[in-house]
Amino acid sequence: MTATSATAALPLPRESARARVDATLGMLFFIGSWSMAFGTLFLSFLILRDRVGTWPPPGIALPSFPLASLATAVLLGSSVALHLALRRARAGRQATGAGTGATAAAARGFGALWAVGLGLGCAFAALQWWLWWALLAAGTRPEAGLYESLFFGLTWVHAAHVAIALLALLWVQVGIACGRYGSQRIVVAQNSALFWHFMDAVWVLLYLGFFVF
Amino acid sequence: MSGDHIHPEPTTFLRKHVFSFDHKVIAKQFLWFGMLWLLIGGVMAMMIRWQLANPGQPVPVLGALLFPRTGGVIDPASYNMLFTMHGTIMIFLGLTPVLIGCFGNWCIPLMIGARDMIFPTLNMLSFWTVFLGGMVGLWSMFVPLGASEAGWTGYPTLSTTVGTQGTGETLWAVAVFLIGASSIMGGINYITTIIRLRAPGMGWMDMPLTVWGLFFTAVLNVLFLPVIGSAMLLLIMDRVFGTAFYVPASLLTGGSGGDPILYQHLFWIFGHPEVYILILPAWGIVADLLSFFARKPAFGYKVTVGAMFAVTVLSAVVYGHHMFTTGLSAMLGESFMLLTMIISVPGEILFFNWLHTLWKGSLRLTTPMLFAMGVIFVFGLGGLTGLYLATISTDIFLHDTYFVVGHFHLTMAASALFGAFGATYFFFPKMFGRMLDERLGKLHFWTTIIPLTVVFSTMFVSGYSGMPRRYYDHTSADYLKPLQHLNVLTSVAAFVLGASQLIFAWNFVRSRWWGKKAVDNPWEIGTLDWSMPTPVPHYNFKEIPVVHTGPHEFSHPALKGRDWIPQTEKLPA
Repeated sequence: MTATSATAALPLPRESARARVDATLGMLFFIGSWSMAFGTLFLSFLILRDRVGTWPPPGIALPSFPLASLATAVLLGSSVALHLALRRARAGRQATGAGTGATAAAARGFGALWAVGLGLGCAFAALQWWLWWALLAAGTRPEAGLYESLFFGLTWVHAAHVAIALLALLWVQVGIACGRYGSQRIVVAQNSALFWHFMDAVWVLLYLGFFVF
Repeated sequence: MSGDHIHPEPTTFLRKHVFSFDHKVIAKQFLWFGMLWLLIGGVMAMMIRWQLANPGQPVPVLGALLFPRTGGVIDPASYNMLFTMHGTIMIFLGLTPVLIGCFGNWCIPLMIGARDMIFPTLNMLSFWTVFLGGMVGLWSMFVPLGASEAGWTGYPTLSTTVGTQGTGETLWAVAVFLIGASSIMGGINYITTIIRLRAPGMGWMDMPLTVWGLFFTAVLNVLFLPVIGSAMLLLIMDRVFGTAFYVPASLLTGGSGGDPILYQHLFWIFGHPEVYILILPAWGIVADLLSFFARKPAFGYKVTVGAMFAVTVLSAVVYGHHMFTTGLSAMLGESFMLLTMIISVPGEILFFNWLHTLWKGSLRLTTPMLFAMGVIFVFGLGGLTGLYLATISTDIFLHDTYFVVGHFHLTMAASALFGAFGATYFFFPKMFGRMLDERLGKLHFWTTIIPLTVVFSTMFVSGYSGMPRRYYDHTSADYLKPLQHLNVLTSVAAFVLGASQLIFAWNFVRSRWWGKKAVDNPWEIGTLDWSMPTPVPHYNFKEIPVVHTGPHEFSHPALKGRDWIPQTEKLPA
């Protein structure tokens, strides 16, 4: 991933502030909509959990708390990395009259930090997979009862969205490398990161619901 | 992404007619798609009515084709599939694509002065997603054990694996999920477009009420479709992976289980806003049409907007009136009852605003106007009967009877459908460059509204007399035998109603290609869409218009020689 393609004049026009607002508004409404979807799942979780006397129900091999905590930390780290990447890119945009040197540095920082975020995101996915695998190996299956249904069901739905979000992050990574996205064309990256942060928040709630409270 | 510059015109057949980004083409795709499914759903209704009026008799013509194993007779399982798919198809694959997909797409950019929707790719995807949903629904009818039998509401535990085996129910849930996804995409598009792409001078209170109705519908879509999406996901997981969200105890292991009533809550948290999703566009269209054809401003424009807003907000907190018989606590039930009665008030306000728009107007009784006036009647009648269902003490008896069926068909099917018909007759000249035949249109109107009123009013009588819905054969129960003549009357009127729609179908197809050519503004309307030439160029507005006037400035005293003024002109001093 060299910076040379980014230092050359971007073949695509710079996006207007208006276009940024349009796209971000759309993404915010989308996240609002998806909050209702995950909200429904959480509501179901809370209602069904309320009916069970002891939680977690006895006699079930529970998912690994250390593993889940590590996954949470990794996920939060990936969000931080994406946030820093965007900050670097925005700083590159503000560097007026600073020539290609500052822009190149900004672009390199953007791509590198984004890669860290993407990498940590993939690490989260791997840890999630391990969490399920360990649980299934211990004999806890989704059809065994309510706790198992809730755990597997909710984490599956979350994971499906994480998979799509990872594809979006990958798309942006490739775009940064090709010069499609950069300081002057940032909104797709910003909105992908926004969705990623949302997925982050949903995971934190899942973590709190299953492992803390 | 913003609608500022003019994109080059598409050249290939695929880009022009199949994978088009042009909101006008997508609107027409939704229209054809929706009309086709309305036909399929309508034929199903005819079969349901046949069975109810003539239990156990082979269905003429279609019977041998569709039910060969039983010699043309609809067996109980097939009957269940018929009422399930009729409801699902009419709502999700008929009304939604026509009212929201077609007229949302057609009207919004043109009426607000934009070149296209703000997210054209998302728009195209939204059509093909609903198309895919329709295909999955169609597929579900051909799997070995047939389509879903659990009603359009799909309550567990009937809809989980013990109640309905086979893939039909699962595919039904997948289809609903996909169709919901399509509407969410459309909703995000409509909301953002209306917020961001209004032409200069087009304030929120200068938009036609059609756009307001579509705006609120989009808000409800975006907020509440995800709820049913999640509910369907949980149902699919229960059916496919044996999870226990809705089953009282895990079937495979006998372990702890979930709650079937949870599904009802989730379903109706979506399901009630859904009915407002279907009626809001029709309300907006009717308010506009009445003004247009009374040559008078829409009475109480701001109050109408406020009423639509109130309905949107309240729609979230009334859903429990579908669940009065599930054992809700008395306090909860009474809260829902009170809120349901309150939500009827905005509808009543709209009713009076419509009447006041007509009062002392110079009425032009064209076909679109007749349908708009028809909505006042059917919605008024249907809405009044809702009050008996809102009241818990009467709802206990009326729940799951034909009273409910009559109520929702009048308020939803008749009102929303009349809104769609009115809009079709109205926008046809701009969409297709030709007029729908006016005499056939008027014939269609009268031969629809009269039998329709008979069909659904008779249902109030049969329902009040205790006739349950979703029964295969009412004559199998002794206490229902005396009501069978009501079934026959309803069915005969329904067959007339069904046949009348052929008038519309004939009119539509014939006029589409051979109808009288339309002038650019045949109805003499001042909204921005009618300022366009016909056919509308792919970029809509060469120059983005600047708006100076409201949408309903008819018969203004200062106007000389004409009773209307385009929104781009200033009113004379």
